[in-house]
Amino acid sequence: MSTLLNIGRRVGRHLLASLPALFGVVLFTFLLMRVLPGDPAAFFASGPNAGQAEMAQIRETMGLDRPIPEQFLRYVGDLARGNLGQSMTTGQPVMADLAERMPASLELTLFALVLALALALPLGIVAALRPNSLIDHGVRFLCTLGVCVPTFVTGLLLIYVFYYLLGLAPDPTGRIDIFAAPPPGITGFLLVDFLLVGDLAGWKAAFGQLILPACTMALFVLAPLARMTRASLLAVLGSDFIRTARSVGMSDWRVVVVYALRNALLPVLTIIGIVFSTMLGANVLVEKVFSWPGIGSYALDALLASDYAPVQGFVLLIAVIFVMVNLTIDVLYGIVDPRISLK
Amino acid sequence: MSFDRFAFTRRQGLKAVLASAAGGALGAFGRLDAAQAQTRAETLRHVLAGTVNTLDPTTPGATRESFGLSTAVYDRLASYGRKQVNGSWVFDFDNIRGELAEKIDRSADGRTFTFHLRKGATWHDGAPVTAEDVKWSLDRAVSAKSLAAGQIATGSLTKPEQFKVVGEGVVEVSLERPDRLALANLAVPLSPMFNSTLARRNATADDPWAQNWLKENTAGGGAYMVEQYKSGQQTILKRNEAWKNGAGGALPYFKRVIAQTVPEAATRANLLERGDADIAIDLQSSDISALEARGKIKLVATPQINGFTAIVFNTRMAPFDNPKVRAAVAAALPYEAMFEAALFRRGRPLFGATWTDAPNGAFPQPLPFRTDAAKAKALLAEAGFPDGFKTTFSFSAGVAAVAEPMATLIREALGAIGVDVSIQKLPPAQMASMEVERRVPFFISAGTAWLPAPDYFLRNYFTGDHRWNFSGFSNPKLDALAQAARFEADAAAYEATCRQMVDIVARDVPMIMVWQPNQDAVMAPVIDGYTYWFHGQVDYRDLRRA
Repeated sequence: MSTLLNIGRRVGRHLLASLPALFGVVLFTFLLMRVLPGDPAAFFASGPNAGQAEMAQIRETMGLDRPIPEQFLRYVGDLARGNLGQSMTTGQPVMADLAERMPASLELTLFALVLALALALPLGIVAALRPNSLIDHGVRFLCTLGVCVPTFVTGLLLIYVFYYLLGLAPDPTGRIDIFAAPPPGITGFLLVDFLLVGDLAGWKAAFGQLILPACTMALFVLAPLARMTRASLLAVLGSDFIRTARSVGMSDWRVVVVYALRNALLPVLTIIGIVFSTMLGANVLVEKVFSWPGIGSYALDALLASDYAPVQGFVLLIAVIFVMVNLTIDVLYGIVDPRISLK
Repeated sequence: MSFDRFAFTRRQGLKAVLASAAGGALGAFGRLDAAQAQTRAETLRHVLAGTVNTLDPTTPGATRESFGLSTAVYDRLASYGRKQVNGSWVFDFDNIRGELAEKIDRSADGRTFTFHLRKGATWHDGAPVTAEDVKWSLDRAVSAKSLAAGQIATGSLTKPEQFKVVGEGVVEVSLERPDRLALANLAVPLSPMFNSTLARRNATADDPWAQNWLKENTAGGGAYMVEQYKSGQQTILKRNEAWKNGAGGALPYFKRVIAQTVPEAATRANLLERGDADIAIDLQSSDISALEARGKIKLVATPQINGFTAIVFNTRMAPFDNPKVRAAVAAALPYEAMFEAALFRRGRPLFGATWTDAPNGAFPQPLPFRTDAAKAKALLAEAGFPDGFKTTFSFSAGVAAVAEPMATLIREALGAIGVDVSIQKLPPAQMASMEVERRVPFFISAGTAWLPAPDYFLRNYFTGDHRWNFSGFSNPKLDALAQAARFEADAAAYEATCRQMVDIVARDVPMIMVWQPNQDAVMAPVIDGYTYWFHGQVDYRDLRRA
């Protein structure tokens, strides 16, 4: 009971402490968008007779004809009411756009992260157990390769081989076959929704669409995860309590998995948190290559068009997610290493 | 025809059987049973780079893709015909036929048009099309704050009083002066006809023309109805079986159309080669030759007869305010090399003519710009810059594929005559605002005129203060000629006026139109009937599966 209370108190403190940071993000993005060169009105005034009148009209629609402090107050007021503004690029409210696209990005990122962990943890462990062996070098080579090759190159390569040449993968456009019916939107996660309605064929199809972009992303984040696992496990394996454990004749398996790994996981958890947040915001290229209707490509399109509202909404969303992820990691710390929650 | 279609279905079905027999972990994802194959044959899948951001083409900020989609969903009073040039279909500006109107009468003085609406025409909801609907739609075009007002004003259509219902199914449009482009303006995507009863039901006090509602909904009577609209992702259309307003009253071939946004050009090319997509018009020009060589697709390349790419001088900024400097640069540019390196010769050159007086009034036409370094040097000295000068050449990152090689060649060629050029690549929004504020001295731009009449071209791109006058050019004589040409009823006098304007543009060089790039439409070999339209988008009503 006291542990739960402890966790609750930590969560509350954490959330409170993140409020000024969030406000800073809101102010900073707001100002940054207005300082950046590029007038959205000039970009969107594409009519055949795009004169000053039409541009003035667009500025008025976007509220840009008012003084900046007033614009900011209005923006914050809208935020308080849960209104993120209107996107010029899609013509929809930003809130609705993000809500529709968020599950797509989350599903891809989570799946890619699980895939990456499933590969990185064993690789890191094997590399740590046999440092400087052939296996270790092999792992290092794979990780370097994953980081060096830009994601869009990996993506295009995978498409070329598995879709264009071999025809094994479905066409790389979006989350679901364009001719197939989408499941009813229950959670927005297609894999979950298809399971809930019991459509196994649909589940397989959605899984097929997901696998190439997820592999692309997983390869890219393999390196930090595997390298951190290796480094942290190496440090732990060299410590006194491991020597003691070995000297009392415990099996290797028990020593590594139960004692060493658990102690080595703490830095890995931190990295997972960072990697996850980065993936969510930075998978723009993967989303572009696979026509994935996620938030990354949405924000990039808006940024290129100087469409203020979606960019501000996107940055705020990522900031909130970052706070939430850090919080979760913090709580997980306590579970992995009970000493932390006692403080 | 029905036999062909059966054969197609059976083949697709066989493929599906094979695919499922092959099984395998990933192979099983290609699910396509016979029924789906049937639908697939009757469905057109168009993959595009851009997005449709509104269903109402007149919304400020509407994308080009929105214009294209609206031609299928809405009818207009009139439509251009199409003709075959070098084996491919191109719109025919000189041949306007009725679309929603069955018959169009033009009065002898050219000041009154009478539109007789097609008998029995209906809206998508089944309600009959009335003259009042047409009147409301035209009133909306000139009254609402939308893109339409600016466009159709170029045809002297500006006030609701110009539109009168004169009988059942008859609408009269009157003009103060016989504008040459009045009728043409009623055939563009910005003058769609709306079901006014439905639209008015969704209008509010703040929004009397239902502009908000029509962004997400449609009130049309065109060849296709919107089945699903996901802004920024895809739009699915289904055929309007009651549609009779096409050429010859025929229904379009495809029962369904999927317009899907696929941002990556390489992915669009892959989809076409694998046969999963049917048509794309925005692939990278560097990929086109390779695609054509592999022979799995059909390429229809049409020079964009109403478009151009231009190297622009800001005529309001030194040293380009001096016509001699502009002429010097024009004589130094490496035209052939640019055409080769940037465009792979995929287009119609607008340089290299040999005349001194314009042979005719056509525009755009090749102008007498030729590479001649000695002449360039002499002109530069005459202009007072014997040692050259420094300048910046800018372009938008959005057109980098073409502009980058051009910029490098320009820098090299101008360096030879002493002009030191630094290259500036800007994000699209920034480039747009710098252009509008006229803060870039020397840059690349491109344009398309919806109404490819020489006077419209010259008026829009070389006169006035609006942004399409890229060079900020101002020449009183040209201004006067361009205004006069608009109302010139006599063909010979019109031609003479246009010739004079072409001469001015060739002599003063406010900008150098270098070429008209091809529109490379890539499609599955069985797709037939593709037509290049003035709006540069696919008109789904033209296409069929052969």
